[in-house]
This record gives sequence, structure tokens and C-alpha cells, in this order.
Amino acid sequence: MNPENYIILSGLLFTIGALGVMIRRNAIVVFMSIELMLNAANLAFVSFARINGTLDGQVVAFFVMIVAAAEVVVGLAIIVTIFRTRRSASIDEPNLLKY
Amino acid sequence: MTEIGTGEAIVFWVCAVLSVTGALGLILSRRTVHSALWLALTMISLAVLYIANAAPFLGMVQIIVYTGAVMMLFLFVLMVVGVDSADSLVETLRGQRVAAILLAVGFGVLLTAGLGSALSGIPMAGLDAANAEYGGNVEGIARLLFSDYIIAFEIVAALLITAALGALVLTHRERWRPKLTQADLMRQRIASGAPGPLPTPGVFARHNAVDTPALLPDGTLAEQSVPAPLRARGDLRPVDIGAVEETRALTEGEAVFGPTVTPVADDPGASPGERS
Amino acid sequence: MDDVLIAPDIDYLAVAPMIIVGVTAVVGVLVEAFAPRRPRRGIQLVLTFGALIAAFVVLISQAGTRVITGSLAIDGPSLVLQGLILLIAIVSAMLMAERRVDPAGDAFSPRASALPGSEEERVLSTRGFMQTEVWPLMLFAVVGMMLFTAANDLLVMFIALEIMSLPLYLLAGMSRRRRLLSQEAALKYFILGAFSSAFFIFGAAMLYGFSGTISLPGIADALSANPGQTPLIFIGFGLVVIGLLFKVGAVPFHQWVPDVYQGSPSAVTAFMAAAVKVAAFGALLRFLYVAFGGARWDWQPALWIIAIATMLVGSILAITQTDIKRMLAYSSIAQAGFILVGVIAVNPEGVAAVMFYLAAYGFATLGAFAVISLVRQDGGEATHLSNWAGLGKRSPVLALSMSLFMLSFAGIPLTSGFIGKFTVFEAAILADAVPLVIVGVIASIIAAFFYVRVIVLMFFTEPAEVGPTVVLPSVFTTLVLAISVAVTVILGVFPQPVLDLVEQANVFLR
Repeated sequence: MNPENYIILSGLLFTIGALGVMIRRNAIVVFMSIELMLNAANLAFVSFARINGTLDGQVVAFFVMIVAAAEVVVGLAIIVTIFRTRRSASIDEPNLLKY
Repeated sequence: MTEIGTGEAIVFWVCAVLSVTGALGLILSRRTVHSALWLALTMISLAVLYIANAAPFLGMVQIIVYTGAVMMLFLFVLMVVGVDSADSLVETLRGQRVAAILLAVGFGVLLTAGLGSALSGIPMAGLDAANAEYGGNVEGIARLLFSDYIIAFEIVAALLITAALGALVLTHRERWRPKLTQADLMRQRIASGAPGPLPTPGVFARHNAVDTPALLPDGTLAEQSVPAPLRARGDLRPVDIGAVEETRALTEGEAVFGPTVTPVADDPGASPGERS
Repeated sequence: MDDVLIAPDIDYLAVAPMIIVGVTAVVGVLVEAFAPRRPRRGIQLVLTFGALIAAFVVLISQAGTRVITGSLAIDGPSLVLQGLILLIAIVSAMLMAERRVDPAGDAFSPRASALPGSEEERVLSTRGFMQTEVWPLMLFAVVGMMLFTAANDLLVMFIALEIMSLPLYLLAGMSRRRRLLSQEAALKYFILGAFSSAFFIFGAAMLYGFSGTISLPGIADALSANPGQTPLIFIGFGLVVIGLLFKVGAVPFHQWVPDVYQGSPSAVTAFMAAAVKVAAFGALLRFLYVAFGGARWDWQPALWIIAIATMLVGSILAITQTDIKRMLAYSSIAQAGFILVGVIAVNPEGVAAVMFYLAAYGFATLGAFAVISLVRQDGGEATHLSNWAGLGKRSPVLALSMSLFMLSFAGIPLTSGFIGKFTVFEAAILADAVPLVIVGVIASIIAAFFYVRVIVLMFFTEPAEVGPTVVLPSVFTTLVLAISVAVTVILGVFPQPVLDLVEQANVFLR
């Protein structure tokens, strides 16, 4: 087995996450897909840290987790606010703004 | 240079299959709760892969912070929003889903092919030296965190404060009128003119269903006897005038209750919705 | 372990402006927690303006600093752009502080957590409650923007991107009027912003994989050490640039711009349009020039296409708009395209031109949104273009200043916009990008059409029977208008001092 398998797996997960963002309409599922993309980036950082032989990648992955946690808090707060107003978590249903 | 042993290869393939399954489950499940659980599966498999990749600290953080805190937050919000919330699979923009799938497949093929060709046979330096330098993985990360990455470490504070402040602003509702004491509640009740319990429905009428208003002694309807939500919906079961007349006659002794009295046609089976 | 951790060496004076703003934001949060309700707004205003002005003064005292401290590079471009961000923040804070225009209070919901249309909201509104948390949030956004222009590695850039964006997502959803629209704008901005930052960080991971470091000079060194092209560089570069172009609002990553600009409160839109562009272009310039300056021939063609598409799509779609805020949103997309022309030049003149253009565009935008916040109907803003008919007869001063901003956007001589476009195109010609300049001129001509249409509408159309009212603002918005008009005229007539300044400060420290 080669170390690049880890990176290819991370690319695959990233793509699946991006696909989820594009095809799903429930804001919470879309948001979870974005979390999947961040996790894929973390896997790449951790694997590259091992390939490059430096710990920097692990530190970056650690920071990405912190940032993701902060993002989750704000994002879910926005989603809950919208839900309380409209009783729906679909990102299509709020459509006062046209495309 | 370090090589990857067979044991790690087995761990990799098991976790890779699990994480891709979880990712696909996330985007394909109809119900949001299932999506969240699939994502938790992916995150746990990734934690195992981190540990296999000489990152035991991150593996633990992944389980504690991601699966433990972040995913629980997601599930908690799902409880607020409603566990049953299912996604409608109807497309709003025609062809958007097909286009998105084609785009993603193209992107994925390019990405994985590019990565595969760029990295095939790449030598792996391994982290044994870096991890051992300061006595362990956690020590090594801590040393970097407080030296090279000190600026990032400090400014992350701003991010976390913003997040806490934002969640408070959007969801915290301060009390804006004074809290009612028991004495206040009592006064309110007396002032409302109905200090006792509300009349029970249907007592003086022919039905004891909750949507049947009670009849006051003078024959008028006691609308208060019907629960407010039903009243708001307009689901008051109309009272048959004949029945009222009969009740009056019974109470005043003009008639006796017996088989000679034809029961008034008051269809008890009809639901209120059908009548309106 | 016997070796001790050596304390990192940080030049605290060089980063003092950011520290001042950041610490004040934290103090602002404490004020929210402990100060009684009545004086809170006053305290927050003093803190906000005090911090922004103090940071600006300290920044001026730093003029000429060129130092890399930790992961931050304090050099000419970052100092100029940070100064510009602070000035824009001061002016937009004035716009946010306005409370006479809306009879109910300021531009923000009395309590963002109250349900729209609920009794709670109504009662709080009549009691004059205000959400004073907007001030610390705004200061945090300013800290993020300043860090974004100075970030010298991809990690700090990513964190700064988030520090800048999270408060803006929140502020976008806190409008007092049309709250559903505003909340929807916040959701869209958030989802697409988080999506783009995921691209950014995945790209950063690829660049780390290639070079073994995340610092921008380190990536440049790795590129010159291994000149061979590997897909890793392309993937990493492309994804990071997508993340940055999203914040800039370039085509095809522009879909969020009209919705967010229309839904957000005008004061926030002005801040977002002016300051986020400055910060995002600062980061884009640093990323392209410091990390990929040596590989410019590889990425220039791709950015050529994006710049051309941005200029044309922004200008053409703006023509079809009927809402003035949406029109300005598409106009800001087109302006991003013009600024990209300067970015693509990859020469010091390009950096100077971009900085000048950002200043000219920023203040004209602040002024335009200040005007929009004054034209009102039924309590809210009258943003439909038909409402603007005959505004010149109702309020000539307002209509004249709006015309000035429109002329500046269109790039008519004697306004700041003309000098901005001129310097940008000049830099592009120096870099042999003549076709780009030709497209730019064509797009300017298309764009001039809808800017002039607003002027014609205001001065040469009969007003509607029941038109909007023009509210007399307090000193805050009046000052915003005066400053924007002054900057637009001065940068158009005597641009030399500012041009000298940006030309002295046009080299990135590596």
C-alpha cells in the first residue's frame, strides 16, 4: 500500500461532500456536507504531515477543527433562527430573494 | 523513510470503505437524522485513520470534539427542528441535480487522477523522528502551537468569542416583561372573571365529545367549555335546536325521558371537519 | 526535557492596530454582559469609534514598517490596506450608528432572537430596545479583515477569513425591516461562505503537501526549487483561489452577492461591499504575488478569463435589475472585475492601482448606500428603481451626491473612479494585457448605461404620485455623505498625494 491512498480517499470524501452541498436542499444536510469537506481537508493535512515528516500539518488540522466548531455554532444558530421563523429547514423554501 | 505495513493496510481499507459508505449515506439518506448518524460513522473512521497516521492526539480530538461535540450539536438542533424533517426529493431547478452530479463526478475524477499521478510512489518521511523529538506527539504539537503558530493560536480566541456571541444574539431571549409571581397570577385570574375551572364540554348537551360546547341554563352555548385550539379552528360542534328544546323540556318536567321520545337526529359519527 | 521553549518573538508595535481593535471588541462583549441597558449604546459607540481611530493613529505612526512577525507580514500594502479598512470601518460605523432615519431606532432589529412580527418584537421596538451586540461583532469583523491583508501563511489567512466572515453572516441577518429577507440573506451567505472556505482549506492542504510548509514565502521557495509542474500545485492553487475569489465576488462565484447585498441592512451592505473587497483583494494580491509571483505565466490565463467574465457578466446583468440594491450588487461584481485587471498585471504599478481603486470604490459605495438608507417609504427603504423617479426635484442635494457616486462608478473624469480605472488599465498595459484593457473599456461603456439611467431617472423623470420620502438624517449620515462626496471629488481632482502614497507602498515583503 502507498501513502497516496490516504490523499485519494480524502479527495473522494471532499468530492462527495461537494456533491452533497449541490444536490441536497435541507440546510442542515448541506451544512453537514460542508463539515465532511473540512474533514477531508483534515485527513489530507494529517497524511501529508506524515509524508513530509513535519508536524505542521497536524497543527493545521487541529486549527481547522477549532474553526469548524466555531462555524458550526454560528451556522446552527442561523438555521435555528430561520426555522423558528418559517418552520422549515429547506434552503429552497426561503425564496423571497430571486435567483 | 517508513513503509506502510500490512496491518495498517488492512486498517486503511476497512476505514476507507466505512468512511466512504458514511459519506454516501450522508448525502443519500432521505431523513436528516440518518444523515447525521452516517456522518458520525465517517468521522469515527477518520479518527482511526488519524491514529494510524501517527496522529494519536488528533484522533482523540476528532472523537471528542467532532463526534462528541459537533455531531451532538447537530443532533440537538435536529431535535429542535424536528426529527421527522425529511427532504423533499423534488427538484426545484430542472436538471440541476444531474448537472451537479456530472460536475462532481468530473471534479472527482480530475482530483483523484491528479492526486494519484502526482503522488504515486511518493516517499514517506514518516513522523517517528518528529514525534520523538520532544518526547511525543502531544508535546511536539504543543511546542509548535506555542512557538511557530502562536499568532494563529491567539487570534482563534476572536473566532470563538464571535461564535459564542453570535449564538447568544440569535437565540437567547432575555425576559422583557417582569416575571409573574403567584400573587400576580392569582390577581390575573380573579380579574379575568372566571376564577374557577372552565366548564366541561358537553355536560348539558347530548354529547360528551370535547368539541361539543356545554349549554348554559338559559340554553345558550358556553363556548369557553371547548378547548381554545378547537375554538380557534372553528371546530365547534353545532348544537341541534331540537336537542336543546328537548333538554329544556326534560329539565322543566314537561317531558319524561323514555322510549316514546324520538331521539333527535344528531349524527355522532360525523367529525366536525365534515360539517363545516 | 531540558531544552526550554523559546518565547516567540512578536513585534507587538507592528501589530498594535489589530490588538487595539481586537481587545476593544472583547471589552465590548464584557460591556454587553455587565453594563446596564440604558448606557450600553453610548459606551459601545465610544469604544468602537475610539478603538478604530486609535488603531488608525497607531497605524500612521507605523508608516514605513517592513517586518515579518510570526505569521504576519506588516509591509507597504498591508499597512495601506489596513488603514483603508479602518477608515471605511469608521465611516460605516457612522452609518450603523444612525438612529434618526428609522423612526423606530437604528438599522438593526431590536432583538435578533425575537420572532419577526411577534408581540415581543413590537413591544421591544416601541420601548426603543437596540441590539448593541452589533458593535463588538463589527469590531471582530474589522480585526479579521486587517489580519486577512497581513496573513503570511495559509493557516492565519484561513482563520482571518473566518473571523471576518462569521460576524458578517450574523450582521447580515439582523435587519430591522424585512427581517425574513434579511435572515434568508444570512443563511445564503453562510452556506456559500462555508462552502468556499472548505475549498480554500482543501487547497491549502494540497499546497502543504507539495511544499511541506504553509507559509507563502515557503511555498514560493518550494516552487522555485521544484519547477516541474505537478497536479498538486494546480489543484491547490485553484482551490485556494476559488475560496478567495468567492469573497471578492468574481464570476462564477458571484451568486451570493445580489441576494446578500439586497437582504442585509444597508449599513452592513455598505461595510461589506467596501471593506470585505479591500480585505479579500489584499489577501488575493499577497497570495498571488508572494507565493505564486514566480509562476505567474501559469495562472495568468485562468485569471484573464475570470476577469473578463466578471466585468461583462456584472455589467450586463446590472442593466436588467429593478432594485437599486441589487443593481449596486451587480455593479460591485463588475467593479471586482476591473480590480482583477490590476491584480493580473503582476507588477508594482498593479498593486498601487488596485489599492487606489479600492479606496475610490469603497468610499463611493459607502456614499451610495448612505443615500439609499435615506430614501424611505412606509418605514422601510424604497429600493425599487421606480421609487427613485424625480428624486432630483424632491431633494436636489441627495440626488446630486448620488449622481456623483454613479459617475464615479462609471469612471467619468474628475471623479475618483476615473483615476482608479485609468491607473488599473495603465498597469495592465505595462504588463502587455491590452486585450484585457479593451474588454475593460467595453464593459465600462456598458456599465455607464445603467449608472446614467439612475441619474436620468432622478432628474428627468416625473415623480410618482405617492413617492417615497427623503428623511432628514442626523449628523452621522450627513457626515458619511459629506466624507464620501469629499473623497470622491478629491481623489478625482487631486489624486496625486494618494497616488504617491500607494506607489511608495506597492511592494510585498517576502
